[in-house]
Amino acid sequence: MATAWPDKDDHALLEFIQNGSHEAFAELVRRHTERSYRIAYRFVQSKESAEDVVQDAFLKLWEEPAKWHGELSNKFTTWFYRVVANLCLDRLKRKRTVELDEEMPLADERPTADELMMRAEAQSILEKEIAALPERQRMALNLCFDAGLSNQEAADVMGLKLKALQSLIMRAKTTLKERMKANL
Amino acid sequence: MSDNSDEKLESMLRARLQEAASPELAARSILTARGITQKQNVSFWQLVRDLCAEFHLTKPAYVLAGALALGIVVGFNTPGDSPGVQDSNVSNAQGFLSADEELL
Repeated sequence: MATAWPDKDDHALLEFIQNGSHEAFAELVRRHTERSYRIAYRFVQSKESAEDVVQDAFLKLWEEPAKWHGELSNKFTTWFYRVVANLCLDRLKRKRTVELDEEMPLADERPTADELMMRAEAQSILEKEIAALPERQRMALNLCFDAGLSNQEAADVMGLKLKALQSLIMRAKTTLKERMKANL
Repeated sequence: MSDNSDEKLESMLRARLQEAASPELAARSILTARGITQKQNVSFWQLVRDLCAEFHLTKPAYVLAGALALGIVVGFNTPGDSPGVQDSNVSNAQGFLSADEELL
């Protein structure tokens, strides 16, 4: 009887993966690639690097599936997003300078529309200011606003209490508002 | 004013753009994984057995290697500052000489 992979939850797929099932692995990859990429992209700010990180994270999981201990952490995604975030941080440590502004695709590059230009400029400044935030504040913002995680999920990924995460976001927003006064 | 800037910042944070991932990213990960063998959890004894199998030694060689390892372990566990047989011989000889000197 054929196994209906999409019907299986992450934990079930991981058990199959631990027994060497490529099909289960493929299903897990398809299920979580996009969100993992969004998280990675915000850290490394480059499509190629983010894709490399996501691929590395999945390959690590495939190579050593025993590293995932289902009984220790509740959700696979909490654990996996942490792996992705850590890989990004490792990559950033290796390459301290993050190329931002010039290479960043802007929201709208039509030079004739002043308003759009100003908005794009503000967005570009925002990216720079976010990049200048302390690492944990940046991570909290990225997880909540880009990866679309709930505050509780983001707190789990970062290994924090909900209140601590909310405080990080609050501080990040206060700093950003202060630094972007002219653009808000 | 503050509420307004809060809202604007929130909307800017949500509007941050990013390049979309390549459509074949997932397929690439899946295909690459096909060429990688999984690392299984191996016990210590399995590791030792694999190591022995790797060297293809005959049984006497294992006995010899075992005796050598045992010798090394015993050697390292023997306290280095305990007086050996040679030391006691030396002190005996010295005692004998000093007794002779007294006679003279």
